[in-house]
Amino acid sequence: MAPMTRPPDIDPALVRAAQHGDQIAMADLMDALAPYVGRVCGPIALHDGPDAAQEALIVIFTNLAGLREPAAIYGWARAIAVREAVRVARKAARAVPAELADVPAPGDPQLAADVRDVLARLTPEHRAVLVLRDLEGLDEQATGALLAVPAATVRSRLFRARRSFRKAWSR
Amino acid sequence: MVPVNQDWPVADLDPVRRMRVLAAATPGAAYAEKLIPAPFSAVWETASDLEHELPRMITDLRSFEITSTRGERLTARARGRLGQHARFDVVLRPGWCVMQSRFLIGGMAAAPDGAGTRFAFLGGLRLPGIRLLDPALRPAAQSLALRPIRRLERRLQAR
Repeated sequence: MAPMTRPPDIDPALVRAAQHGDQIAMADLMDALAPYVGRVCGPIALHDGPDAAQEALIVIFTNLAGLREPAAIYGWARAIAVREAVRVARKAARAVPAELADVPAPGDPQLAADVRDVLARLTPEHRAVLVLRDLEGLDEQATGALLAVPAATVRSRLFRARRSFRKAWSR
Repeated sequence: MVPVNQDWPVADLDPVRRMRVLAAATPGAAYAEKLIPAPFSAVWETASDLEHELPRMITDLRSFEITSTRGERLTARARGRLGQHARFDVVLRPGWCVMQSRFLIGGMAAAPDGAGTRFAFLGGLRLPGIRLLDPALRPAAQSLALRPIRRLERRLQAR
């Protein structure tokens, strides 16, 4: 699986200006970051993706002054986006009774193979591993560090997540 | 194997959600949202006519004159009721407007919501130390930010 297309570079001067409260720079920086944060939050938080992306960007922008190295902004934003997406998805899962949870209709291989359906069968933590390993191209160590779990846990979550896709496709 | 990238769900952030982010990150900001029972095109056509509509929405403003336009980037000269004036940098596109002068910031955002339009308004001061006053300013600031939206709504109803 090829990693996600690299997002466009962000001018360090733009980050610095936004850190100093320049509103136009903040808006420009949001234009650059929002699509990236949306791609990270979407597969983890699914229907709650817009809420997760909004929460992630609020954390990113309210803590922007603390970012010392503007060149590290994507990695920093990614860590926040994954954490917020897992948090929002977990909260939403608790709010929905199990019998009303999204269960894909069986029988239709085309439908079963739909990425969203397969993702919906996984926990937010499993989806986070998939996003970091398969979309973002991080290794097990980096993924584990970002999610605060051992590399072995990353491996087992990834195994289970990929098996779900294989099952869905082999029907 | 996991499917190709473009099949993965992507979370889209509409302009109002983006304005919420700017508001949360702007100390001392006055921010409010309201559902306006009019279609997005009508709301934005009026709201984005900055020269005519901004002085109606913000009563302290006597005039707002666009002095240059380059794509989405504009500059404007604002004059207040007391004769004060300021140069504003503006970014304007459908559903989205942010502006700032040396001491002021502002923003408007709109997104379709059912048959109506969710409209957001942001205003604030760029002053050193404003961060310290943020908790005290927020509650009063919200009702201040609702006033321009209500004026816009009345203007749309009158049409």
